[in-house]
Amino acid sequence: MIGAAILKDVQLLLRDRGRLLSLFALPVVFMVVFGSMFKFGPDRGAPRPIPVWSGRPELHLDSLGEGFTVEPAPSADAVRHAVATGDRVAGLVIPPTGPVELVIDLAGPVQVRGPVQGALTAAVMRALAPPIPMPALIEAKSPPGIAKPLDSISAFQVTVPGNAVLFGFFLSMTVAMTFASERRSGTWRRLLAAPVPRWKALVGTLVPYFVIGCVQLAFLFGLGALGFGMQIAGSVVALVALSLAVVLCATCLGLLFASVGGTEKQIGSTAPVVLLVMGLLGGCMFPRIAMPDFMKSLGHVVPHSWALDGYYDVLVRQGTSLADLAPSIGALCGFAALFAALGLWRFRFE
Amino acid sequence: MLTLRGLGKDYGERTAVKAVDLDVVRGEILGLLGPNGAGKTTTISMACGVVTPTRGSVAIGGVALASEPFAAKAKLGLVPQDLAVFEELSALQNLRYFGALYRTRDVEWALDVVGLRDRATEPVKNFSGGMKRRLNIAAGLVHRPELLVLDEPTVGVDPQSRNHIFETVKALHAQGMTVIYTSHYMEEVEALCDRVAIMDHGAIVALGTIGELIAKHAGQGVELELAGNAEAGAAAAVAHGATRDGALLRFPAGAPLGAALAAIEAAGATVARIESRQANLETAFLALTGRALRDTE
Repeated sequence: MIGAAILKDVQLLLRDRGRLLSLFALPVVFMVVFGSMFKFGPDRGAPRPIPVWSGRPELHLDSLGEGFTVEPAPSADAVRHAVATGDRVAGLVIPPTGPVELVIDLAGPVQVRGPVQGALTAAVMRALAPPIPMPALIEAKSPPGIAKPLDSISAFQVTVPGNAVLFGFFLSMTVAMTFASERRSGTWRRLLAAPVPRWKALVGTLVPYFVIGCVQLAFLFGLGALGFGMQIAGSVVALVALSLAVVLCATCLGLLFASVGGTEKQIGSTAPVVLLVMGLLGGCMFPRIAMPDFMKSLGHVVPHSWALDGYYDVLVRQGTSLADLAPSIGALCGFAALFAALGLWRFRFE
Repeated sequence: MLTLRGLGKDYGERTAVKAVDLDVVRGEILGLLGPNGAGKTTTISMACGVVTPTRGSVAIGGVALASEPFAAKAKLGLVPQDLAVFEELSALQNLRYFGALYRTRDVEWALDVVGLRDRATEPVKNFSGGMKRRLNIAAGLVHRPELLVLDEPTVGVDPQSRNHIFETVKALHAQGMTVIYTSHYMEEVEALCDRVAIMDHGAIVALGTIGELIAKHAGQGVELELAGNAEAGAAAAVAHGATRDGALLRFPAGAPLGAALAAIEAAGATVARIESRQANLETAFLALTGRALRDTE
């Protein structure tokens, strides 16, 4: 019976373009867009041109360091115009006397402006200061007990798991909609009238979506690795185990939505809001490391954060094993058990 | 084939079905009639194991549903009132799924029964309303049940499909299948059913053959309406065996009509309208359940 249910739900899914888009195509779009927006590491793309005008012939900037190229400008006003119109993110004006003018839109978000402003300030200081040989003053190192990260971390190391988790949990809405749809159409009544135990009717409705969720994550991580250069620094077995835990958790959340969600219309209006808030708190859209402490703590009340912590470790930290992911996998299984218990408690077969 | 004993269902304070006793004989077609909210669907749902009864018992083919639910359910096929099929799948894919619930792979014969063999691989969403209804029946038949329960199977279908459904039910009956048929259409029940149970307010209020129900609850007779001194005339008519329903007087077949008319005239009334009443299942149904509208299910 469960095999027939899997076949039936896969056939239904293949004929439902909306669900195919939301489970498979939309996450890819998000991965590509966010991966392109937050380029860093080996795939950072072309350096940004920075217009420079110098009123001091003796002070000439040839290079601004990694990530930027010097673009000579005919005048100071040309630099200011290029920034004012948004053609260039920043520019440099070196007057005959006085300090160098860093032309930049100070109203820009600090997340965008800050790194550019810091990098250009350092580049100007290096270029204008007399060349004095100095020993290395500072070297960044991970503390003992934390596995060494990959030498270069691409944006897709972050955007692939972020969107896989965000959209992986949207599976729960699909699960809940399926229950509501079967109740509305009467196929659920038919199922209850058949010589099938009620637990099997329930499991037979959930298992197909567990399988579909596994296919979804395999597709997204496979595409990330083969198409976008995402690397797996740790154990593949650990990655698979973590993904199974994520799908289990999403499926059980679907049961909870089905038991409290009501009709398809009600589920369709409430579940996306809940899932987006969970994704936001969990760091799927904005890294939790950049969140205030309160938000960081709050993130642990949703399974998304545990999943993302685990994915970051196994994708970025070399040598991450299944045992290293035990906290994440354990937390996800705990959430799954909680969702399943609440869902079963509230679920009405009749 | 189906035995219900003291079967009842409460939803909180509300009693949907009181305590139904019913025996459906193997090989018969039993019609189940009742106004909206009478408890027909709840009774059927309990009999099929879809709804857990608050009290009473169900046995299907001698097997108790409570103690051996899978053996009992295997003998029964349910055709719900809703179009309980997957519209995105083909007819054959639907039947294969529903067949799998009963561990049967031999499903294509059911397409022949409902005349959908040539549309087997087409998505159900392309079907007409009548074709969907026929597939709905096929999905309940797929495991060759001993007892088929049809809940309003002809709602919203064209006359051709309705006729096809009729013929299908008759053919299944001829092969020995027991059928419970609920409907709002009296002519369907009159045409198909050996016996009829009429439900109202959560209880069976009448059970018998159509002839028995008509004879007992809607015998033939004459209806009169009076003018002039109608009150005095009505009193005279009642004294001669009439029953009164507002301005309407009804005499059963065989009543002393000549003497009654003379008494009515003597009382100062005249006959404004006189009509011979043809008894049928509908008049019996209305006599049992009344003429008041039922707006709740």
